[in-house]
Amino acid sequence: MALSVSRRAARDVEPGMQGLWFGVLVFRWASYAWMTALAILTREDLRAPGVAFGSIVVIGVWSLWFSVTRGWQRPLVLWIDLTLAAALLLVSGLVMQEGTAGEGAPFFATSYPATAALSVGAAVGIGGGIAAGVLLSLALVISRPLNGLPLVDLTPDQWASLVNGAVYYLTAGGAAGAVSRVLARSAAERTQAIEDAARERERAARLAEREALGREIHDSVLQSLALVAKRGTEMTSRPSVPAGEVRELVELSARQEQELRALLNEPHGEPPPGTVPLRTALQAAAFGVDTVPVTVSTADPAWIPASDVGELTGAVHQALENAAEHASATKVLIFAEQTDGAVVITIRDDGAGFVYDEGALERQGKMGMLRSMKGRIEGIGGTMLVHSAPGAGTEVEFRLPVQVGLG
Amino acid sequence: MTEQVPDPSASEAISVIVVDDHPVWRDGITADLERSGIAVVAEASDGGEAIELTLEHMPDVVLMDLHLPTVSGVDAIREITEHAPHVRVLVLSATGEEVDVLEAVKVGATGYLLKSGTAEEIADAVRRVARGEAVFSPPLAALVLSEFRRVAAQGSGEPGLTPRENEILRLVAKGYTYREIAERLFISQKTVQNHVQNILAKLQLRKRYELMRYAIQRGLDRSPE
Repeated sequence: MALSVSRRAARDVEPGMQGLWFGVLVFRWASYAWMTALAILTREDLRAPGVAFGSIVVIGVWSLWFSVTRGWQRPLVLWIDLTLAAALLLVSGLVMQEGTAGEGAPFFATSYPATAALSVGAAVGIGGGIAAGVLLSLALVISRPLNGLPLVDLTPDQWASLVNGAVYYLTAGGAAGAVSRVLARSAAERTQAIEDAARERERAARLAEREALGREIHDSVLQSLALVAKRGTEMTSRPSVPAGEVRELVELSARQEQELRALLNEPHGEPPPGTVPLRTALQAAAFGVDTVPVTVSTADPAWIPASDVGELTGAVHQALENAAEHASATKVLIFAEQTDGAVVITIRDDGAGFVYDEGALERQGKMGMLRSMKGRIEGIGGTMLVHSAPGAGTEVEFRLPVQVGLG
Repeated sequence: MTEQVPDPSASEAISVIVVDDHPVWRDGITADLERSGIAVVAEASDGGEAIELTLEHMPDVVLMDLHLPTVSGVDAIREITEHAPHVRVLVLSATGEEVDVLEAVKVGATGYLLKSGTAEEIADAVRRVARGEAVFSPPLAALVLSEFRRVAAQGSGEPGLTPRENEILRLVAKGYTYREIAERLFISQKTVQNHVQNILAKLQLRKRYELMRYAIQRGLDRSPE
């Protein structure tokens, strides 16, 4: 699929370059026609009409062959073309009336030689085009002595005409080179873009397929685990079943189900640098809490700095153990959200509850775990609040100032 | 939770269709519900069947999984709530996959439970949904909060949550029951339910806006000449 797309891209590239070559050929034939017409009109003034018309025929045949066989695709042909153009410049000096080159009289070669610079520029690039321009300029300079005008005797006007011609050839070669480079680059970029898009589409399709497959599998695994837990629970009430062993199996499958679900529902979106999704951190804290089901939910997006994760998960884990071991809760809910520059985490259980009186708890020796939790949270700049009453469960609230933007 | 013992006067009228592609589950849920005095009038194993049987039996509640062959759960819910608006749909999902659950609620489901819930919890949720209550589990409340937060961040000017709705949704996310929320906020339980229902309505309205915008963008609002 990617292959066929890139091939189409390559075809799409052609129009730009084709346009350039079409222009170069039009220029070639227009200047050739002008050169021929001029030679016919000024045939009276030519020193050597035979040489002049002979070279016109040679150039005509060559150009025809060059155009038909798309000669610009081969370096050797480009060299011959350039040599012929330079030779035409020299011939110009020879066939024109002595001393008339660069003197206002129409120049025999007209602008035909520039077509060779254009071709080289379009085919090879800026460097090649300018080099061709230099070569043609040299030939132009030599055409003067051949016309009976020694360089040392040239008037300023004659020099100006010479420089004018040289600049003309250099510009033609360089400009064609620049245009072809721009065309080639944009074509390459477009091909790249199309290939990238095709690859991205394929990747997305593959990913979607894998995800769909994953969902299917996960769904049936979760179903089975939930079913084992459910039927197991029912079995424990039957007299002939070893209730304790079944209960263990039930707990195992319930835990596996929870952990797998937590993994599946990882929060979306890219976390800001140096942060961790809050939910991921809380799910990590719930791992290993075996005796009570823990539900973690967050209002997203919510992130916490990676440097705080260790202490936070430590504190949350202790709160969960407290609920599981001391409060004999049957379920724990964690809810967390990020509001007004703070992350608030609520851990709520339906356990026995207690009177939160630090002094009394201290005397009963029950303050250790609570103090440890509090220390961890305060250590990372947060606060801890405990709401509890006997028979009403316990709610622990951690509040952490966080400077992470909400995106 | 408040009605663990089946209340004959209430449950007598409750008719349910159970939709699940796993026969073992379907049988299990059906048995559980019937034990609680709820009448399972039909069982469907895929989305297409669910739509057909719902239109045929017009039950009080359709209890359905979202992972279904042929027609997906979400599409089936859309069809059911469109053609049988008085039939309540309660989603029972194994994965609790967020996108699916949110989508199901947006197209008209009035509740969502995880399959890991106990038989009592499921039966209780069915009764509440049949009474017209919205059953928001804490994770669903958190999901809905996230959704409204995302909308507010976009600043599209679409209806957001009032401060009160926000507060209530947060308490649901923390695991408070409607009764506990009512006590805490000094309002009646009915008022809490109304708030939750309004939140749900806003979510469904947003979905309708979304579809409308989509239609306008595609020029689907214009009738063919």
